Amino acid sequence: MPPIKRVFARKKVCRFCTTDQETIINYKDLKTIRYFISERGKIMPRRISGTCATHQRQLCEAIKKARQIALLPYTGSIPR
Amino acid sequence: MRRYETIYILRPNLGEEEINTIIDNTNAIILKEGGTIIHLDRWGLRKFAYLIKKESQGTYILCDYATEPAAVFEMERKFRIDDSVLKYMTVKLADDITAEKIEQAKVDIATRKAAKESGESDENDDSDDDSNDSDE
Repeated sequence: MPPIKRVFARKKVCRFCTTDQETIINYKDLKTIRYFISERGKIMPRRISGTCATHQRQLCEAIKKARQIALLPYTGSIPR
Repeated sequence: MRRYETIYILRPNLGEEEINTIIDNTNAIILKEGGTIIHLDRWGLRKFAYLIKKESQGTYILCDYATEPAAVFEMERKFRIDDSVLKYMTVKLADDITAEKIEQAKVDIATRKAAKESGESDENDDSDDDSNDSDE
């Protein structure tokens, strides 16, 4: 019998699934979005942020919209 | 009728009157096609995340409305011509909207706004137009 692997990583849960099911991720809601982008303005991968596939997709759309209208940078540091 | 949402950014050096004229003209296009303005929000002067036409800040205006697609085409055509509009973005919110739904949406926004004002003020709700330089 192989030794049991110790996994220290905590199970991540999607932030949007745990709160409101009906909330549509809004590109104008920077407070929420800011949690899911890196300091350089990159979108956090799912393996780090723990969002589910559905919400990651919506989040991705929202971030890209926010970038279009200059609320978020394409590259570089986040304003504020 | 479809429901859209347009954000447009105006040059920062425009006066209050010029901003009002642009907003009025835009609204007139929507109304001419038999549309309705659901909500108009002026975010005021905001700093951009990147330079747009060599400007680092601009006046954001958010307009939520219901109209025919033709009005959107016309509006965007005007935006492209107008030099004082730095950038615009239109998002379709709903494919089909009825008069009752429009009223419902208006009520929803009003209640949400009232709730927000009574509670803590939201970070990106810059209702002040003048000298809102909270961002560095």
